[in-house]
Amino acid sequence: MTPRPRLGTSLLRLFTVQGSWNYEYMIGLGVGVAEEPLLRDLPGGPDGAAYHAALGRGAHFFNAHPYLAGLAVGATARAEYEGASPEQIERLRTALAGPLGSLGDRLVWAGWLPFAAGLAIAGVALGLGWVAVAGFLVVYNVGHLALRWWALGAGWRYGTRVPTALHHPGLRRAAAFTAPAMAVSLGLALPLAARYLAGPFGAGSRITLAAGVALGLVLLWWRPGNLTGLRLGLTMLAAGLLVGWVWR
Amino acid sequence: MSFDVQLVLLLWGTLVGLDLVSVPQMMIARPLVAGAVAGLILGDGALGLRLGIVFELFQLDVLPVGAARYPEYGPATVVAVSAGHLLTGAGGVAVGVLVGLPVAMLGGLSLHLLRRLNARAVHRVAARIEQGDARALVRVHVGGIVRDAGRAAVVTAIGLAVAWVTRTTIVGVLPERVFVGLAVAATAAALATAWTGTLRLVGRGPLLRWFALGLGGGALAVWLR
Repeated sequence: MTPRPRLGTSLLRLFTVQGSWNYEYMIGLGVGVAEEPLLRDLPGGPDGAAYHAALGRGAHFFNAHPYLAGLAVGATARAEYEGASPEQIERLRTALAGPLGSLGDRLVWAGWLPFAAGLAIAGVALGLGWVAVAGFLVVYNVGHLALRWWALGAGWRYGTRVPTALHHPGLRRAAAFTAPAMAVSLGLALPLAARYLAGPFGAGSRITLAAGVALGLVLLWWRPGNLTGLRLGLTMLAAGLLVGWVWR
Repeated sequence: MSFDVQLVLLLWGTLVGLDLVSVPQMMIARPLVAGAVAGLILGDGALGLRLGIVFELFQLDVLPVGAARYPEYGPATVVAVSAGHLLTGAGGVAVGVLVGLPVAMLGGLSLHLLRRLNARAVHRVAARIEQGDARALVRVHVGGIVRDAGRAAVVTAIGLAVAWVTRTTIVGVLPERVFVGLAVAATAAALATAWTGTLRLVGRGPLLRWFALGLGGGALAVWLR
């Protein structure tokens, strides 16, 4: 029989899943740390051979989106209780890494996060100030916490059948919502941010600003591999310093 | 600016730096949040929000997938608000971005160094971790978090020192038009970066229509205001 899992402790540890991120194990150690409370009831307890073997496997190389790593944590811990072989567990981890990475990137980094950020930018530009910033934190983290909790719970419920969880209709609906919502939100934010930031400038400076944006866009599209936003910013600051000095 | 306020900013910058990767990733590391709180600490909420928006636009260029390397804009925004605090006209944004962008670059480099240090720490106890030694595993993991906190604190402290030096040396020397030139350049770069980052996210598929819809709404809101 499977014991009552320590999902709460595991979830808390999942908030630190990237704490020991490195180029060799990636988030593997964090996954092992989060899995550890779930493994304590294996035969023999924390001093038993099953616990140590499972923990050693749990801390192997792993990479996935941090918010969805709980799915792998729950599933592999459950698989240990179900008596899956070490090879099966390794295969499960390998099979989960890619999909959890791409799904999380699409859903969160390229969807939910820019959506919430766009709304916050628009809100500040419209004069909402602190309300927009607080709203961003609340809106973003409602989705964030729900996803983390769902992932861990689903992993534990499904065990080795966890790929089924990735076809959950809620995930499909979330993906179908976040992408268009992100596009609308950022579309809304950009003109408002431009208006907000250009507000204190005089007419001449606004024309220069428009020309600068156009030039920046051309440069970033022309040299997408070499020129990042940061490098563009530093280059344009140097140009601005020069122009301002000559113009003084 | 008092020493106490600098300490609070250092603490805030450290928390912001920790949030980016290690714990808890609740997005206090986003420049808008980092800048707004830094503004609150300094009693200059308007500048905090303005610089928060500027760096948030730069942040839209970043997609933190896999082992990607990217600048760290959170502590940089805290430092930027400290640098631009109490400057009038375009000075706040100009000096803030002038100090903040190099600090963002430093933050990105420090993240790369941290990941290498973490790997070295893991190597020392790899055999014990492989044997399922929970104590060794937790120790190396917590060590990584502590190192990240130290990294974020060092980046913020260096940034605050640079901000202080900039405020006490360069600011009095530069004429207003240089500030305007810098502020215009920084704003232009931020907007161009945000447009490029957004178009990369949106792509050329069906999302383009949704983006156009949002753009129309944004343009209408600007016109109505």
